Amino acid sequence: MRLAFWLYEGTALHGISRVTNSMKGVHTVYHAPQGDDYITATYTMLERTPQFPGLSISVVRGRDLAQGVSRLPATLQQVDHHYNPELIVIAPSCSTALLQEDLHQLAAHSGLPKEKILVYALNPFRVSENEAADGLLTELVKRYAVAQEKTAQPSVNLLGFTSLGFHLRANLTSIRRMLQTLGIAVNVVAPWGASIDDLRKLPAAWLNIAPYREIGTTAAEYLADTFDMPALYEAPIGVEPTLAWLRSLIEKLNAAGAERGVPLIAMPKMHEFSLDGQSAPSGVPWFARTADMESFSNKRAFVFGDATHTVALVKFLRDELGMQIIGAGTYLERHADWVRKELEGYLPGALIVTDKFQDVAQIIDDQMPDLVCGTQMERHSCRKLDVPCMVVCPPTHIENHLLGYYPFFGFDGADVIADRVYLSCKLGLEKHLIDFFGDAGLEYEESEASVSPEEPQPSASNDHLSPEVAADVVTIAEEGEMKWSDEAETMLKKVPFFVRKKVRKNTETFARGNGDTMVSVEVFRQAKESLGG
Amino acid sequence: MQLSRDIQVIKEDNVTHSFCGLACVGWMYQKIKDSFFLVLGTHTCAHFLQNALGMMIFAKPRFGIALMEEGDLSKNEPTLEEIIREIKADHNPSVIFLLSSCTPEVMKVDFKGLAHLLSTPDVPVLFVPASGLVYNFTQAEDSVLSALVPFCPVAPAGQKSVVFLGSVNDVTADDLRAEAEALGISVGGFLPESRFDKMPAIGPDTVLAPIQPYLSRVAVKLARERGASVLHSLFPFGPDGTRAFWEDLAREFGITVDLRDREKAAWEKIRNQTELLKGKKVFLTADTMMELPLARFLHSAGADVVECSSAYINKKFHARELEALDGVRVVEQPNFHRQLEDVRRIQPDLIITSLMTANPFVGNGFVVKWSMEFMLMSIHSWSGVVTLANMFVSPLQRRSKLPAFDREVWLEGVMPSAE
Repeated sequence: MRLAFWLYEGTALHGISRVTNSMKGVHTVYHAPQGDDYITATYTMLERTPQFPGLSISVVRGRDLAQGVSRLPATLQQVDHHYNPELIVIAPSCSTALLQEDLHQLAAHSGLPKEKILVYALNPFRVSENEAADGLLTELVKRYAVAQEKTAQPSVNLLGFTSLGFHLRANLTSIRRMLQTLGIAVNVVAPWGASIDDLRKLPAAWLNIAPYREIGTTAAEYLADTFDMPALYEAPIGVEPTLAWLRSLIEKLNAAGAERGVPLIAMPKMHEFSLDGQSAPSGVPWFARTADMESFSNKRAFVFGDATHTVALVKFLRDELGMQIIGAGTYLERHADWVRKELEGYLPGALIVTDKFQDVAQIIDDQMPDLVCGTQMERHSCRKLDVPCMVVCPPTHIENHLLGYYPFFGFDGADVIADRVYLSCKLGLEKHLIDFFGDAGLEYEESEASVSPEEPQPSASNDHLSPEVAADVVTIAEEGEMKWSDEAETMLKKVPFFVRKKVRKNTETFARGNGDTMVSVEVFRQAKESLGG
Repeated sequence: MQLSRDIQVIKEDNVTHSFCGLACVGWMYQKIKDSFFLVLGTHTCAHFLQNALGMMIFAKPRFGIALMEEGDLSKNEPTLEEIIREIKADHNPSVIFLLSSCTPEVMKVDFKGLAHLLSTPDVPVLFVPASGLVYNFTQAEDSVLSALVPFCPVAPAGQKSVVFLGSVNDVTADDLRAEAEALGISVGGFLPESRFDKMPAIGPDTVLAPIQPYLSRVAVKLARERGASVLHSLFPFGPDGTRAFWEDLAREFGITVDLRDREKAAWEKIRNQTELLKGKKVFLTADTMMELPLARFLHSAGADVVECSSAYINKKFHARELEALDGVRVVEQPNFHRQLEDVRRIQPDLIITSLMTANPFVGNGFVVKWSMEFMLMSIHSWSGVVTLANMFVSPLQRRSKLPAFDREVWLEGVMPSAE
């Protein structure tokens, strides 16, 4: 038992509904108490679904439990009558899982044909969102995929694209654009927009693309084992990974094509991948080499997120933008080994694995990076610390469901990510000007209220004041906080506002290390000398 | 007061899209400022609070989940001492509300005993039944208020004053207080007040005036335990409800007031709005349990309420509202699937519905208003009349200003699973 305020991953039910909400003709029935279908709101409000998600609750009331009544058979009949789905997925909630009911038998009481029902009874106390989604997708693929002839021309399946995915539509568009440029057909996208019949058709494709480590990989592995389908598991995030991805894709398809006597696919000219068909497909390689980006070489970045994006972003920031990685972590313990292996040689220390956002916030507070790539929660934590942060992975928030085209995949995605890094970080030449001339007239943007000598901070207590220091000290520290003399405070004011918090913190740490109880002008100078600020 | 006639309420099987009682944390922790709301629950409860209520975690939220993990399922009784210590150290609350949820209820956790065990004279821990096995959405506010009853001092006999039942923001509270005092009614306070140590005194001569329609249990409890009387009137929403509420409340104090002119002036103030609402078909799906008074206002304003449904209807507590809704189709614990078919057939002009169902109704060509918004706006009494009327009118007006919408064109690809 622990006190939790906010969790990165959703529940197993959430994972299940992400898959079924993506699919045509599939309806989920939650065998659960009132309110457990709150998940519906995440689809109708974040994705703004113009239709009702295929999700119903078969309400379990306390009275039903006492009387030994189950509404499940009746609910199944209602759902069948009103929506006539091809498949109904029945899932218990955390509370009803404890009842250890025979859901198969209850479902059979509905009189619906067996093949119309899938009881997906995970242990909700052990399995979370991503594992449940990945597991259900695999289960469905196993249930429906049938051996068949391959398509005449090279084709691929796109697996793991799931409702509420991070920049899902734009990523899909980016991949489709690249495939179109190569003349490769998309056989099936699953689960996003797939019908049961589409799942049957999966083995007709030549290859599976499963770029998300979290969802879709297991299904691709199953298809590889059972139908001998090759797969591409890498995520095309960043320019070099996209190039490698394209080469690998062509190579694998050509290997299959050679056996079938189909003309080989050649790598097109690079400009054919660009939006206008006549320019460099990405601005990142040149951008990274420009003189104003030189200042990025000493920027310190921290990355925290799911598995796919944590790996991709660390590599992108270091390999393509030349930033320093001071640490990285993931909230997906299940994938931590994979992340560790992928990032071998990239991290100065151990990979951080935690699902407690407070731990991550503490690391950011201690390290004060120049850039944090994280989830919505890191953005929130960073705002309090005035640390630049960009959101790079799920759980998604309304702000990750924008209307415009902002992919993370492919050449287009590399440009989007680089732009966001650029906009999030403090800039190059501008930074030098500000460093040199102090506030550069930007002082008014400072949000923290300045403390004037007449007005001690209202939250502070005068008890801390001894008569000797009262004249000098204007910022009265709370317990455990370092005091600053007013002259030192004035000096600190000359430091550009956006690094002031960091300088204050570093100086205080330095002073504490020296056993000082107050930051005087002298201590501040020593700190600057020692820290090179 | 009993119903003068047998009002027809259709009862269905409660297949709705709405939240469980834990939703009340969203407004109750903000209302009672020195409190902490602790849910003994699972990942599902945490995920619900952080997602459906759109809550981001601020520096130190005054609510949290004592997260039951797999290892906790085999234990006889949950041990919360450590968590309570953590809460006290970080938040220093005056009171901790311990909310039940489905999983520990299935496990038959003795919440009363647990709360008693964790209570200290300084910081009581109060059990609040809130689980979705029993309670919908707003109903757990009723549980919170019931838990507060022992901390309301006993008002001596002869001390005649009104205590308003229901959490409203400070502006609304001030307004209600001023209105009562202007009528010569002595105000004993609000249950709840904004601070735990400021709960109102309640005794045999207290008149309890419910200002939210989902608080029947605490009203009954106070009548039984303290001998207080409960005002049975309309709820103070809209010119009609507000007039009845104040006139009836004044009567409890032996004061006769005639607010007909005031009501007329209030209707006059919203004439443009009611002109637009006249004859409009309005459908209310079950969500916040504010549906009865909202439908009654719409009905009085001339709208054609084609269905008013609510998760829970108490024929005694809601008697006056039901009477005023005579002739309107009222459904308790409705079936959403049936409602969807009826909506498609009836084609209402406006649907008041939950966060979960609003956008899909729009996608089906309807104009909607979020039911939850009515809980977050100041719509009480005279000062709330214009806001209340505008809330129904603005979606209609806004829609009429937007250009024509070809669903075939503009919804393509938005939800591939529905195409």
